[in-house]
Amino acid sequence: MNAIFAIVTGILFGLGVYLLLRRDLVKTAMGYYVLFTAINLFFLAVGVFNGEVAPYVGEQGQPSDPLVQALLLTAIVISFGTYALLLGMINVASRRFGTIDSDDVDHLRR
Amino acid sequence: MIWDWSAMEFVLAASAPFGIALLLSAVGSRLPRRWHTLLTAGASAGLFGWLLGYLPIVTQQGAVETSYEWVSALGLRLTLYLDGLALLFGLLITGVGGVVALYTSSYFESEAEANRFTALLFAFMGAMLWLVLSGNLITLFIAWELTSITSYLLIGFKGDKEAAARTGAMQALVITGGGGLALLVGLALLGTAAGTFEMSGILGNTALRDHPHYTALAILIFVGCFTKSAQFPFQFWLPGAMAAPSPASAYLHSATMVKAGIYLLARLYPALGSTELWTSALLGIGLTTMLVGAVIALGKRDLKGLLAYSTVSQLGALVALLGLPDSAGLKAAFVGILAHGLYKAALFLTAGAVDHATGTRIIDRLGGLAKTLPGWTAVAVVSALSMAGIPPLFGFVGKEVLLDAVIGSYEVASLPLVIVGVSAALTVTAALILIFDVFLGAPRDSHAHGHPPGAAMLIGPALLTVGTLALGLLLEPLIVPIITPAVPKAFVLHLFHGITPPLIVSIIAVVAGAAVFALRRSWLAIRPPALPSGAGVYERAVAGASWIGDRLLSTQNGKLRVYLTVILGAVALLMLPAILAYNGQRSVDFTLRNTGDVLKLILLFVSVGATVAAIRAQRRFVAALFLGVMGYSMGVVFLLEPAPDVALVQFLVETLSTILIIVMISRISLTLRDRATRIESRQKPLSRLRDIAIAGIMGLMVGLFALGAVINRPVRESNVSDWYIANAKSQIGITDVVGSVVTDFRGMDTLFEITVFGFAALSVLTLLTLPQSRELLTGKGRARRHTDGPYAHVPEEDTYGIASFSTPLTRMAATVVLPFAVIIALVHLLYGGDAPGDGFTAGVVSGLAVALWYVVFGYYEAKRRLHRLRPGALIGVGIGLALINAALPLAFGRPFLAHTGLDIDLPAGLHVSSTLLFEMGIFLAVFGGSSVVIEAIAHPKEVETL
Repeated sequence: MNAIFAIVTGILFGLGVYLLLRRDLVKTAMGYYVLFTAINLFFLAVGVFNGEVAPYVGEQGQPSDPLVQALLLTAIVISFGTYALLLGMINVASRRFGTIDSDDVDHLRR
Repeated sequence: MIWDWSAMEFVLAASAPFGIALLLSAVGSRLPRRWHTLLTAGASAGLFGWLLGYLPIVTQQGAVETSYEWVSALGLRLTLYLDGLALLFGLLITGVGGVVALYTSSYFESEAEANRFTALLFAFMGAMLWLVLSGNLITLFIAWELTSITSYLLIGFKGDKEAAARTGAMQALVITGGGGLALLVGLALLGTAAGTFEMSGILGNTALRDHPHYTALAILIFVGCFTKSAQFPFQFWLPGAMAAPSPASAYLHSATMVKAGIYLLARLYPALGSTELWTSALLGIGLTTMLVGAVIALGKRDLKGLLAYSTVSQLGALVALLGLPDSAGLKAAFVGILAHGLYKAALFLTAGAVDHATGTRIIDRLGGLAKTLPGWTAVAVVSALSMAGIPPLFGFVGKEVLLDAVIGSYEVASLPLVIVGVSAALTVTAALILIFDVFLGAPRDSHAHGHPPGAAMLIGPALLTVGTLALGLLLEPLIVPIITPAVPKAFVLHLFHGITPPLIVSIIAVVAGAAVFALRRSWLAIRPPALPSGAGVYERAVAGASWIGDRLLSTQNGKLRVYLTVILGAVALLMLPAILAYNGQRSVDFTLRNTGDVLKLILLFVSVGATVAAIRAQRRFVAALFLGVMGYSMGVVFLLEPAPDVALVQFLVETLSTILIIVMISRISLTLRDRATRIESRQKPLSRLRDIAIAGIMGLMVGLFALGAVINRPVRESNVSDWYIANAKSQIGITDVVGSVVTDFRGMDTLFEITVFGFAALSVLTLLTLPQSRELLTGKGRARRHTDGPYAHVPEEDTYGIASFSTPLTRMAATVVLPFAVIIALVHLLYGGDAPGDGFTAGVVSGLAVALWYVVFGYYEAKRRLHRLRPGALIGVGIGLALINAALPLAFGRPFLAHTGLDIDLPAGLHVSSTLLFEMGIFLAVFGGSSVVIEAIAHPKEVETL
């Protein structure tokens, strides 16, 4: 299963890069979001156990890898913060430059 | 650090000029000019006297050293080292400095200019004093660079008006700064080779000459010294530096700074000197410089240009003297430094006065100044004669000991002696040109005469001239004691040694020089052939650098996509070796073990499909919803993993993200969005294909990289994870292993993470609501907004799109949901240790409830109803709690973030452990952060400008 995760990571990453390369800044931001998700999936892929139960002490069976889950928790929240910041910047840029076409936003100050 | 106050005087004295520079730049413009003179000349005289007071001690003890701990972790010490050499230079710096300060106070007409110049001059004096008093290679280097920078500022003093000042300053900075870099490496090597950066430890180290690094470090130090002291082929920066006001030329570019290289060579002579490399490099470069400078000087028709090249020649002589083996040239070098400092500074100051009086420095337009400027003529004639080496002036002594040293080390008919003799003869010619073509003789250009400089300006140069006149006669009482501690060997110094070889060479040189002068009409017409210099190389290098800069700049087209492509391509290339190394010869296991895996596969298909749909969607809102589908599918994958904590957070964050992007899209004006859509749809097939190719390659690379990571990973072996599982309950006291990792085992990560999240959220708020962000964060200013001020007219249900959900039912729902959400959050928080959910979940749940309020009530109403909510403060409190939890162990003498071991069982299955505080912190920070973001995006204020 983890190998499939790895392959889907690649597919999602490619799709994210394609979005990233759009001239539309909103699409670019969406591209980042897809990249975040792809990376999160990568975390899951490198977990070392093929877990059957959630990692709680006292559960019977093979637990899933708690380390990658802890990393994922922080990664998800950070992604959200970054995404919000990115969208905020695009929002401001759209007013400041009067465009959301990234090719037009090529001066720091007009 | 224990400060020995009696020894503090060294630090204070060496830094006094900095203090004066600061004082002048702060309040100088408010002080009367007379005070300036008093302050600057007085301080210089005071420092001169202070140094002189150390003369008996230094003569007796050899050196005075004071040292303090500075950066003890790096073994750095702040050491001041006063020995004979430092004392000699210190006297020169403060002495000439005082004279120049006297002169400067009446040199400038503008008060502001005088003030700025004097401040810079004293900043330089401080740097130069630190340079010569430094007992440590590091402080020495810092001071060395400071002199370069102050020199740059002084050369470029008139840079706002004159292009020559700018180019001259830049050229000097590039050359001396570049040399400084070489010196830095050289000194670092020296410190490493010697095992210490302390001067006292290096000077006594006789093994350095045999060290394997000796050649490298010596050459690097030479480059530093030669650039600083304008040696061939770097000599060209010094004439360029003549764009500086004349007092700066006199002080920096003749008397002191250009001698810093000489100083360092003399300083390191005991440890590094007298080897074959040392002798050949210094003699070769020094003699070349001496000859080249003397020849070029004759062709210069600019008064300061002539003086500059004659200075170059003299510096060459000094370097050559330091090259002589067995300290044979030290005495002559020190006499030369003093003699040259006196006569050349006086000549430069005179050149400034001539410029002042006539408005020109061109020798062809000058002449007969003796009538208009009698006092200056006296100064110039005496100084020029001293330069020519005419007895009984001080310069004569300097030339005699120079010739004596060269003859003493080599045969009479040797090449060094010939070069020194020819240079001396040409220097005589230059001196005669100064005397006869500028000051004596008939005036050549009557139009050139301007206003005579004030008599006050003459005081300084006159003092120098008195020195030139008297010191040759007062060798025994004045000069010998000053030089004695700086010269390792016993020596004698007399004005006349009798008829000796040096005297004979000297006489020949004077006669030859006079003959060349007499024939000047014939050779002045000849355009001298361009002598080799580094100027051409410098210009080509500068042009080349700017050419490269242009080429580099032309690659910058300002298109975000191009930058991203380059960055991603570089990342792909970096991954390539790892991919090649880890993907070969391995089998990939695609087995699906159970229905869970089948479900996961389906969900992964859904998420990929949703992403493709998001890409293909024309409307952004639709694309956003498809992205939401992708995120939720991923959440289910997490749930099936099974990773319930992660899944919970993923669902909540996904909801929040979808709200976020939809609101953000709606905040961008429709026109802009439509325009972007049109541009997007018009993309040419070829360029679309190119993007697909880039994305495909990146996807392939990342996929293979991830695959490599997965298939090479040892299955079911993780010391870390196993250890976490085994110790979560026993050490942290909670059964949720993920929770224990987040709040304790990897607590530092989490601490950083909530901080970053909090700041990102605050940045969003700042970006979107800049003018009001303060009020929003502090929760103040709302009442005013509703009754008066610019927002009074805003209706309760503002026109903002997200308020359209406001019906009685939704209002009631929102009102009910928030308290419930908080209760759910608290439950998650309190039971998070043993069940799914934790501080993150709790924070985002509460944030979502707040979001609902904004959606239902609109911005102002929600703000009014939730006025007790201060999200900015929540972030602070949250991070604060986490920090307190992290710092608590410190109170028990344990490390930061160590586990405190609190573990209390309460009724109702409630369980309090030390991680609860951390969880509370996470909750508050995430709640505050998400609320801040929601508030920011709900804020209706259009940000017009930033």
